[in-house]
Amino acid sequence: MTSPAEALERRIDELRAAVRKAVTAGERDRARELRKELRRLEDAWDEALDELADQTERPVKPVPRQAGPLLPLREQVHQALTLLGAPAAPRLIIAVHEAFHVGEIIPARLTSLRRDEERSFRTAPHSRPYYLCPALTADLLAPARGLLAVSTWPMANRVIGPLSPRVDFLISAIRLAGHLDRIPDPSTDARRLLWRFAANIPGAAPSAAAMTPAAVADAAEAELDIHRDSDRSHREAAAKRAREQLDDIEQLFGSRLRGVASTGS
Amino acid sequence: MDNDTSERLRRLRGAVPAKRHNARTVAALTGNPGCARRAVLDAAGVDKEQLARHVGFPAKFGQSQFAITRGNAFEAQVKANAFAELIRLLRETLELELNEVGQTDLEEVGGNTSQEMRHIRSRQKLTGAAADGESTFFDHPLLTLDVGGNTVYLEPDLVAFHHNGKFHVVEIKSFAVIDDQADGGKVAAAATQSAVYVLALRRLLGDDDAVSDEVVLVCPKDFSNQPVATKVDVRKQLIVLQHQLSRLSRIEKLVGELPPALTFDLAAGDDGKPTRSAAALTAALAEVEARYAPDCLAKCEMAFFCRKEASGCTATLGINVREELGGVETVAEALGLADGSLIASDSQAEAAAMLRTTAEIYGSVTA
Amino acid sequence: MAGEANAPLAAMIGSDVAHPTLLFVPQPRNRDMRFEFAASLAEVVLDYVRSRTQRSEVLGNDVVFLEAPQLLVPNRAGAAFVRLLGRSTRFRRTTGLYPVPQRVPTLGRWLTYLAERSEHPGSAAMLAMTEALSMHWASGQSALEDANLAAILGWIDPPDGVTGPEAAIAAEDPLVWPPAGPSTDPSFDNEVLAPAIRAYADSAPDSPRRMHALQTLERELRGQMEPTWRLMWRAVDVLRALPPGDTVEQRWTADRKDFSRYHNYLVMDGRPQARRDGAVVAARRLQTLEREQTLYDATRALDDPLVMANFRVTGEAFEGTVVSVERDRRVTGEKGRRITRPLIVVSTGDPMHLAVGAAVRSPARLGQEATIVEIRRLADSTLVTLELAGGMGRRAAPAPGTVPEEKDDITYTSAFPDAFRTPDLPPTELTPWTHGGPPQPYVPTEDDAREVWE
Ligand code: SF4
Repeated sequence: MTSPAEALERRIDELRAAVRKAVTAGERDRARELRKELRRLEDAWDEALDELADQTERPVKPVPRQAGPLLPLREQVHQALTLLGAPAAPRLIIAVHEAFHVGEIIPARLTSLRRDEERSFRTAPHSRPYYLCPALTADLLAPARGLLAVSTWPMANRVIGPLSPRVDFLISAIRLAGHLDRIPDPSTDARRLLWRFAANIPGAAPSAAAMTPAAVADAAEAELDIHRDSDRSHREAAAKRAREQLDDIEQLFGSRLRGVASTGS
Repeated sequence: MDNDTSERLRRLRGAVPAKRHNARTVAALTGNPGCARRAVLDAAGVDKEQLARHVGFPAKFGQSQFAITRGNAFEAQVKANAFAELIRLLRETLELELNEVGQTDLEEVGGNTSQEMRHIRSRQKLTGAAADGESTFFDHPLLTLDVGGNTVYLEPDLVAFHHNGKFHVVEIKSFAVIDDQADGGKVAAAATQSAVYVLALRRLLGDDDAVSDEVVLVCPKDFSNQPVATKVDVRKQLIVLQHQLSRLSRIEKLVGELPPALTFDLAAGDDGKPTRSAAALTAALAEVEARYAPDCLAKCEMAFFCRKEASGCTATLGINVREELGGVETVAEALGLADGSLIASDSQAEAAAMLRTTAEIYGSVTA
Repeated sequence: MAGEANAPLAAMIGSDVAHPTLLFVPQPRNRDMRFEFAASLAEVVLDYVRSRTQRSEVLGNDVVFLEAPQLLVPNRAGAAFVRLLGRSTRFRRTTGLYPVPQRVPTLGRWLTYLAERSEHPGSAAMLAMTEALSMHWASGQSALEDANLAAILGWIDPPDGVTGPEAAIAAEDPLVWPPAGPSTDPSFDNEVLAPAIRAYADSAPDSPRRMHALQTLERELRGQMEPTWRLMWRAVDVLRALPPGDTVEQRWTADRKDFSRYHNYLVMDGRPQARRDGAVVAARRLQTLEREQTLYDATRALDDPLVMANFRVTGEAFEGTVVSVERDRRVTGEKGRRITRPLIVVSTGDPMHLAVGAAVRSPARLGQEATIVEIRRLADSTLVTLELAGGMGRRAAPAPGTVPEEKDDITYTSAFPDAFRTPDLPPTELTPWTHGGPPQPYVPTEDDAREVWE
């Protein structure tokens, strides 16, 4: 290694020690400053390393598993949600996608996706066949934390009452089981995904190895029977309110509480 | 608390906002109940961490980001898919009925995350739980507790409402339970912290019987990520906690005995550092009596300061030494009593006799 | 690593101060790497265990190795970690899902063995260095602070020009003395380890970046462990400078015997230790431990006058002068025979707390039973009358020198090697059905082997 890089490295080590010292002494501001300087040197060091590598061999940058997604992100998400048939959290959407498709979904991109959808709708309403939107809470008709839905679903499916998370979980289990039954030899990932549902549904499967999709669907159906009616009436009522009280945009993206307690935040 | 006392406490704290407590710091209040210094600092809302640093004895309570990441990931996992794993566990542990799956998210209110809003809504939902019967699981409710006249916001991982009318505090921790055993210290800390939530929930509902004194602890099993739930009885922790909290609210007497001008003001000057010198604050600290024990090192931000102050005292050697040497404050005194150069007072007679025999016997052996 | 149940990050191990082996895991959350770590550790540990089996002797009916393994760890938490590492590896299998080399489960059995053996009072199979030091030195700090190896060693053997207390305070700075494990310092985790692990994880295999990340990790981890490594050896030196007690040999023989027994078991049967002891095994174990504790306390008191001094302070032993002797006293025994039962009176200034009827022994004449028959408290001394039995030869009159004489200085203690007597439990095979019948050996289940280690 060339000596400037070595000098840089020594300086980086010193800075690290200094940061730890500041942290240990509780000097937060100083630690923050030192850290900034540290990051700067590390970047410089990275560059030095790259140059060095250029002379010898090209560094292999980590590559995503698949060179590029076959479908745009929003369509991948749409696919996963359509398969699940109910609002779902980003983690589950990613898990479904990975179980049945190639390519990776980067979690951070899901967050920006939601914003992009709303922006697109605001500039040119109803110009796309569907939008990805948040599910709405039944009581406040506000976006439910971390749940995505599809705009073409009936309102009653997009609002979430107290029983709805479990109901949707069971619905998704049934649909997932059905899908596994239909496709010829499902991947290990797909079976593992279904097991994550089955393990938490009474009577669905004695073990991961002994699990059959049909039995999982039956068990989920049995528990669903218990919740279905009260959930339905709750959701219908909320959906009715939403249609009456909310404008077009809000019906998809939810109403925000404004001005109520802005002092506190 | 009367106005006078509140005023005195404000003065003790000085021109800075009161230090916000959280469940961990409230739990820590039970650590050394006999210490007046701590009671006064806590009641006045003084930032002990900053104070300790300013007088040159910073506390060493760091947390590794690996531990934090692991904790968050485990909680997310057991709550994933509409609490799928938790529902299974609580059906077993709390004998929940199959239809008890309702959930209310209290981590935000229609996108608003202000503490006031969240607390109002948590109160609404929790007090209405029995009547509307909609929800069994209350995710991250925001509770409050009065700590020496200051409102503290507290956020349990989960509160579960059983059809028999009882609420259970559920605490999710990422330390492992291996072959049905877990680290005793960590279990104890989790129990005390949960007791804080139980108390806050009881105050919120205004009904002690509505909240079970058994909390549910959810931890990973063996070396896996699979969760297990265990009930933990926190009655003892509740008693200690209540005692300590009422002691804080009866702080009048302690405060009344302090010099009227005393203050621990940490208000910063233009350079961002407290304007009052370390020496002035050290002198102020000396006005309030401490009760140092080695345990403080793990529990109180002032520990290194108090240890230094107590050096030469028998208390620094541990609680048992202090008790065995009842009435003998310092090591020098103990040595004096042992070699007979000091005369024991009445209260020291027993300890002194023991010290003398020990000195004689050990002396005869090593001679 | 912090937050993970027993996820090993790094270890420094060896039997030569100049040549430690450094093992580390660049990505502690990666299961395969964890098993690789266990496999490498197994190589070192099993080699060492094997080296202890080269020579043996015959003791009674058993072949006993002349040496036994001894594991020294810095502190109690380190010993607990060894136990957990044993627990997490001993059930692993060489086939099926997540197969591992045979040496991994074997390592698990040995680590578990050492952890269990170390619970036996007097065993030196695995020692926490802080505790070994605390047994021989009293520092001026609390037990809590004594659990810091650098601090307690600072008191005992401070560097030149520094006092003990100063050295102990300096030892509390994690930047100067990194913690002796198993947990690393949080600021090290956050500022050094996390970026280094990230650099490793974000680099492509075999790239220069990855090579460099590995070097960084190794250097940083070595930096965290080397100070403790040196402390451990300094502690060993300090301990070795003490004269060994007379009964140390005896205790080490017990360790050697047990080691030989377990070695034999592994060859003949080899099933891993149970997750939990059954009731019968647990009761037996408890009884053994109690007996060993008594034996250990007693023999230590015989070895070391300072330990005996402590018994005297607490009143369980006393030292004094023989003031009168009734040497030829005979009484009628239970079977009607006349037997020799001398009486002696000892005057002591010690705070004796024993009662009439207590059985005591004198370390100098362990073969002779003594029973306290009378206690008279005077102003500044106590007169203790003792009846002696045994150890006086076969004749009617005691052989010369077998009974203490007037003006002799003598010590009597209630803690002596065979003071602990309990009804013997029936042999395990004969455990009555009321107690569940003979315990079945633990047969590890599929679940044990498949247990995820994430
Ligand atoms: S460290 Fe000091 S202030 Fe804190 S509890 Fe202990 S003695 Fe009291």
